[in-house]
Amino acid sequence: MIKNHLKIAWRNLLRNKAFSLLNVFGLSAGLAVTTLIILWINFELEYDRFHDKIDRIYEVNNQHQINGELWTWNSTPKPMAPVIKEDYPEVESVSRFFGDIEFLFTHNNKNLKAKGTIVDPDFLNIFSFPLLQGEVENVLNEINGVVITETLAHKMFNDKNPIGKTIKIDNSDIFKITGVLKDLPLNTKFDFEFLIPWSYLKKKGHDDENWSNNSVTTYVMLGANTSYAGFSKKIKALRKNYDKSSPEMVTYLYPYARTYLYSKFENGKEVGGRIDYIQLFACIAGIILLIACINFMNLSTARSAKRAKEVGIKKAIGAPKKILIMQFLGESILLTSIAAVLTLGIVSLVLPYFNALINRPLSLNLTNVWFWLSAAGTVILTGVLAGSYPAFYLSAFRPSKVLKGTIQKVNTLVAPRKILVVLQFTIAIILITATLIISQQLNNTQNRQLGYVKDNLIYSLMEGDTEKKYNIIVEELLGQGAVSSITKTNSPVTESWSNSWDMEWVGKQEDDQTLILRMHADNAVVETMGLELVQGRDINLNKYPSDSTAVILNISALEHMGFEDPIGQVIKDNGTDWHVIGVVKDFVFNSPFQKIEPLIIEGAKGWFNVIHMKLNDANTTSENLKVVERVFEKHNPVYPFNFEFVDSAYANKFNDNKRTKKLTVLFTILTILISCLGLFGLASYMAENRIKEIGIRKVLGASVNTITTLLSKDFLKLVLISVLIATPISSYCMNKWLESFEYRITVSWLTFVQAGLLTISIAFVTVSSQAIRAARSNPIKSLTTE
Amino acid sequence: MLLQLNNIFKWVNSGGQRIFLLKDINLEVEEGEFISVMGPSGSGKSTLLNVIGMLDGFDEGEYHFLDESVHNLKEKHRSNLYKEYIGFVFQSYHLLDELTVKENLEMPLLYKKYKGAERKAMVADMLDRFNIVGKKDLFPTQLSGGQQQLVGVARALIANPKLILADEPTGNLNSQQSEEIMALFKKLNEEDGVTIIQVTHSEKNAAYGSRIVNLLDGRKV
Repeated sequence: MIKNHLKIAWRNLLRNKAFSLLNVFGLSAGLAVTTLIILWINFELEYDRFHDKIDRIYEVNNQHQINGELWTWNSTPKPMAPVIKEDYPEVESVSRFFGDIEFLFTHNNKNLKAKGTIVDPDFLNIFSFPLLQGEVENVLNEINGVVITETLAHKMFNDKNPIGKTIKIDNSDIFKITGVLKDLPLNTKFDFEFLIPWSYLKKKGHDDENWSNNSVTTYVMLGANTSYAGFSKKIKALRKNYDKSSPEMVTYLYPYARTYLYSKFENGKEVGGRIDYIQLFACIAGIILLIACINFMNLSTARSAKRAKEVGIKKAIGAPKKILIMQFLGESILLTSIAAVLTLGIVSLVLPYFNALINRPLSLNLTNVWFWLSAAGTVILTGVLAGSYPAFYLSAFRPSKVLKGTIQKVNTLVAPRKILVVLQFTIAIILITATLIISQQLNNTQNRQLGYVKDNLIYSLMEGDTEKKYNIIVEELLGQGAVSSITKTNSPVTESWSNSWDMEWVGKQEDDQTLILRMHADNAVVETMGLELVQGRDINLNKYPSDSTAVILNISALEHMGFEDPIGQVIKDNGTDWHVIGVVKDFVFNSPFQKIEPLIIEGAKGWFNVIHMKLNDANTTSENLKVVERVFEKHNPVYPFNFEFVDSAYANKFNDNKRTKKLTVLFTILTILISCLGLFGLASYMAENRIKEIGIRKVLGASVNTITTLLSKDFLKLVLISVLIATPISSYCMNKWLESFEYRITVSWLTFVQAGLLTISIAFVTVSSQAIRAARSNPIKSLTTE
Repeated sequence: MLLQLNNIFKWVNSGGQRIFLLKDINLEVEEGEFISVMGPSGSGKSTLLNVIGMLDGFDEGEYHFLDESVHNLKEKHRSNLYKEYIGFVFQSYHLLDELTVKENLEMPLLYKKYKGAERKAMVADMLDRFNIVGKKDLFPTQLSGGQQQLVGVARALIANPKLILADEPTGNLNSQQSEEIMALFKKLNEEDGVTIIQVTHSEKNAAYGSRIVNLLDGRKV
């Protein structure tokens, strides 16, 4: 029986090569997308889950009421970790994480920049980063001991055993290698090549007891028998006894396992995060697979005229309905299996490009039993899903109807098939609209007025001796004409590193806790960055030595503070009285997708991390850079010169959105492709089925044009209905998406018209090619071969 | 008695009117009969055949087949009944184009759960009996009309039915092929005792049978 079914199925496939190709290709395109997305989702869900004690690890967060809203964030004061260890016996281990730092490693004249951090000795107890050499208990116990990864060890010492070797860090302190870590896996948030014990920070005098300085992350691991619910209540009021400035601030333990996928908080409630994207793409994967299945159903049932005879004969001979259903389901599973094999090929071919696109190291694990089990599951599920409708439809034919000599023609566009086509195109139009709106939003934001001049502007992080020799560096750079203006700041102009709600000025409202961004610049900041002055003047330390306590406001800050005459006003911040000397137009300081926040630029009394240089427009960039590099290497010889173009740093802010756009474009094209494959198949069968009607009409004098219109009309009507359904849905969804950007476009109705027209023309081309072919055939043939 | 139809009515409703396809049909068929159903186009010949073959239902009346009351049977029971006892021969042969002659013959046996070896023997026997051994691996489209109908008859006979229903079995054949098929029917009827009901337009073909039933507008005349 099964052999007989397989035989019929196989011969049917071969006989209808075009149909089989359409079906297999459509299905495998759908399956390929689904596979890629499932691989990605799998990777994301496994992210940072490999730690043995993941269920007991928590990140310490704070929650605090600011202007009536409950804020949640994860930076903590340095003294918190020791207090937790001291006061709460339920906590088994606790470790601070200083944040990413870059140090220069020197060994035998070999200089290497390495990325790492400073942690407490318990760090490796909490997180499962296995040591290749050294013991977890003591690798981080020596003040001048450092743990490095195997890759860094190899780079520093080649194949020699690194344990006990000494290195100089940042050209100042000598460290001994105490342990070697296995390289970090790719699916962890952590990214470090070395770990230095907290005791080093203490020795250098950088540890502090300041509870208002929230600057490190604190991780705790609860004891095996501690209940989270009970303990989280207990630790809530931790700050009460220690934090003088905000004792009411709540200490909140957030499960570490959730930090990657969730960790977006709104008013104290977890509201999602990365998981939103995962759910969205899971939906997209499902939808694309569904569309592919719909194609299958449509093509299969459209061919029912051809299969009707077979069903009729088999039933007359005595085949029960059940067996016929099994037969058609089996055929669909066979076809899906063939598609699955093709899918494997497509996926392994496309995976590297997909990885580059989403920036993830996904791979097909062909040796994994689960992979094959889930693949088989998907094939059977897809096969049954795609085959169910045709199976029940076909097996329900009444033999007395289909066997009356000639088989009646089955109309191609019956109601269920119409619904399926409408559904497909609705999805396609929603995706097209999404693509259009995403790229409009992206273009619009990219073209946003920055408020500063990013061309020919570079910045360099201050390292080694640059701080000490800053004045002479400035003198030489300006003197040699490579740089037309220079300023040092606390952060690059593309990133905000500092803010406060603690500033004071005359007329500030008492409950005003608005966050004001803070920037520091020693000199000529307006000139260097090309800001636009509205009132007052630039900071000029040479001419006005008192400018070390000068401050420049942006217009938003001016409006927020409400000064009538800003020049000369005083703003108290960090124990200094800053006097206002100028006001600049708003400029994009943080994310280009957000509205501009109040910002003040404080003068030379602040602290500095970055040097901004405006290169001299008179020379070529490479000439300028050569001079700049030479000057830095002369005064800071140990460190290789680092710099970044502000315009490329700014462009990087769009990477995520560009990626989203590329993915949407990809999925849109695939959806359209698959939908059109289906439409093409339907149109060709329709043309075939109506060949007699076409013949009669032509004999009666119809032109090719009228027949083409006649045949295309029915399909275009369906696409038009899709436009009507899709427009409100996509309008709602895309407005929702745009709400996540403060700086955004308003959606124009023209976009929907565009999407609709595009879809209709694609559908028209697909259908009319078949219609024209049918319309041009010779009526004599179609009328005599009945 | 093989089967008995009592006051069978069948109708369709069209535009508020009831159009009768079969009107008060009474028919008794004994085992071993060879009946020809005749009548002009649209007189209800094929409908009657479908009702007898249980491929189609009826609206009123009683139908007894081998002591079973068909009008009281459930669909599943009914299909078991015709599977067991009835073989069909069609005007346009209705062989499955995807299957070879041998495979077409084998198909009814598959649905009756014969074992593989048994099926092989029965197919071989049938190929032999109809003299088409040489054609067993050809596909239907590679055969002439007469040969295709030969296969069609062989397929109808393979599971040893008591009754063969043939709807214009020679309608698509030329006169020589027709004679061969009719001679075959006669032989089957006389030598093997198979009951045959055929629908035909041709007086000549009807003459092969033992009894003629004439229909006009759904009525027996």
